[in-house]
Amino acid sequence: MAINTRIRSGLAALAALSALTAGACGGVEVRDDSGEGEAGTVDGPLELAVVPKAVGHEFWSTVRAGAECAAELAGDVTVNWDGVSAETDVEGQVNLIQNFVTQDVDGIVYAATDSAALAPATQSALDAGVPVAMIDSGTDPQPDEVPLYATDNRAGAVEAANLLAEALGEGEHDVALIEFQPGSQTNTERVEGFTEGLAQHAGLNLVGQQPSHSDVNEARRVTEDILTANPDLAGIFAANEPSVLGAAQAVEAAGRTGEVVIIGWDAAPDEIAGLRNGQIAALVVQNPFRMGFFGVQNMVEHLQEGAPMESADTGVTFVTPENIDSPEVQAVLEPSCDNPPVDQ
Amino acid sequence: MTGVESPPAGLRVRCRRWLREHVSYAVSEFTAATALVVLFIALSLASPHFLTADNLFNIGSQTAVIAIIAVAQTMVIITKGIDLSVGAVAALAGVVGALVVRDLGFSVWEAAAVAIAVGAAAGLVNGLLVAGAGLPPFIATLGMMSAGRGLVFIVTGAVGVYSLPESFQLLGNGEIAGIPFAVVITAVVALAASCLLSQSRFGQYVYAMGSNLEAARRAGIAVRRNLTAVYVLAGALVGLGGMVAASRVNSGQPNYGIGLELDAIAAAVIGGASLFGGQGRIAGTLIGAFLIALVRNGSVLLGISIHYQQVIVGLIIWAAVYFDQFRRRRLEARG
Repeated sequence: MAINTRIRSGLAALAALSALTAGACGGVEVRDDSGEGEAGTVDGPLELAVVPKAVGHEFWSTVRAGAECAAELAGDVTVNWDGVSAETDVEGQVNLIQNFVTQDVDGIVYAATDSAALAPATQSALDAGVPVAMIDSGTDPQPDEVPLYATDNRAGAVEAANLLAEALGEGEHDVALIEFQPGSQTNTERVEGFTEGLAQHAGLNLVGQQPSHSDVNEARRVTEDILTANPDLAGIFAANEPSVLGAAQAVEAAGRTGEVVIIGWDAAPDEIAGLRNGQIAALVVQNPFRMGFFGVQNMVEHLQEGAPMESADTGVTFVTPENIDSPEVQAVLEPSCDNPPVDQ
Repeated sequence: MTGVESPPAGLRVRCRRWLREHVSYAVSEFTAATALVVLFIALSLASPHFLTADNLFNIGSQTAVIAIIAVAQTMVIITKGIDLSVGAVAALAGVVGALVVRDLGFSVWEAAAVAIAVGAAAGLVNGLLVAGAGLPPFIATLGMMSAGRGLVFIVTGAVGVYSLPESFQLLGNGEIAGIPFAVVITAVVALAASCLLSQSRFGQYVYAMGSNLEAARRAGIAVRRNLTAVYVLAGALVGLGGMVAASRVNSGQPNYGIGLELDAIAAAVIGGASLFGGQGRIAGTLIGAFLIALVRNGSVLLGISIHYQQVIVGLIIWAAVYFDQFRRRRLEARG
């Protein structure tokens, strides 16, 4: 108990200290938007902090490219890119956000590693007069003036069910779902979206649902067993990259490529290869470039013109063997600032 | 198993101990094997798809990697140790094996050698920490579990290693006369390990060190060197297992093997290995590995959710260990 109390008072002291720091920063602020919330216009160069959930992943590298592209197009905007090394390092991200507030950047664009744990960090940035925009994952609660630019996972998964129904056509069909991490929010949204979509199609029966834990080996194992148990299986929706790859390998190993329609998610190189050689019928692909782009673009407009920031769905693209080589789809798959995939 | 572990004992005492251990193994393996057979028959009746050539082929492939790694785990457990790092080290060996093929143009065999070397190196660090620095095995390998997983993310940038040639799939997806290549590898590993443990002097040392480390030292066994060797050998097998797993999915997966250590420990314990050291046999471990694989396979065939599968495996572990201790106490009371 004694130890417990000591830790608690230590935490209280720490909290007081950070409040003090935040307050001090607010005190020395010399910007003209001294009022709360109502952002005035900032002239001259802007410095924005852009913080991903974690650095080092392809997804986040694409977010960065989008953010830097928007900054480049706006001109005189510096993107300060920094992040923790693992998405599980929630505390590290809280510290990082606080440090950016202390540095008094003009605005913060970030993706929350944990929706509850980061809510106070967002609030303390706002209290210090630093506007915030969220990308990919927001906080709970999320203040009204903070927008979220993210994929609507649920809507994407509903559409995946529609694609599956379309590919299978009339009649009764057995289908299976390979989810990835039961309990995680993104997983829940995709599973609920898919089952919601299935409900629209009376001919589709969900006969198997197993998780891959984002491990290709496990995805392959459960898909093999689902195929064994359901010789008439006609379709599979696999909800993230490892799940798709394992499912495609199991179908291939069973010699049923083409007979079993696979709708996948994400666009890893092997998934694209699978789409091209007929193992995969369609992929639901997010647009991380647009997340970074919208975040920075709207933040800059907000700072320069006082325009309020409004949340937007960054959308998904349904990639099929037919459209994969079209300029629009290639812009999403291989995003570059010469041809940014950001048509609004 | 006898002769080296304690001061000279009378022939009668030694015989009785020998008998007790062998009866103990027999009962333990008989129980696990009975459970395996019962489950096999039950699944054959419950699902028309279970007893088919394709499904048996799949079960063999699915069990291979966990069996190889459980064999490694068994050796460590016999020395009264535990290896929590097997999942992380298997992932590390797998991604390094995939990387040298993709980036350096190694053949699949060369890559397997590299993966085995990576595993052995991790095992050497574990062994030196346990036998040299005197860290408890739990702590030494807990550190390796974390450091190894970190290294996986560092070398891959946390992105899967893809775009590998078809030949990379040989170890995990190839077959010889209709038998999965991975199963052949597992059989060779299991036979070799079984032979080593039961027939060689090194094998005797392994059991002796697990029964009583101090007595083994006094009996003149080079404990530090031999204990380190156990971890190196186990690491090499884990490296091989990781390579087979990577080959099976034709890619190096940074997230591979999370929780694999628990499967490996469970397989060993179900098969009769004792976490108190000095006891365990490869045959039992194989039975344990197949039992776990059958539960998983059967659950999916019957449409049982993953959450229940985990509960079922937990119940089997409890039952196996409880029964084992119950039996051991009775044998000891008699002995």
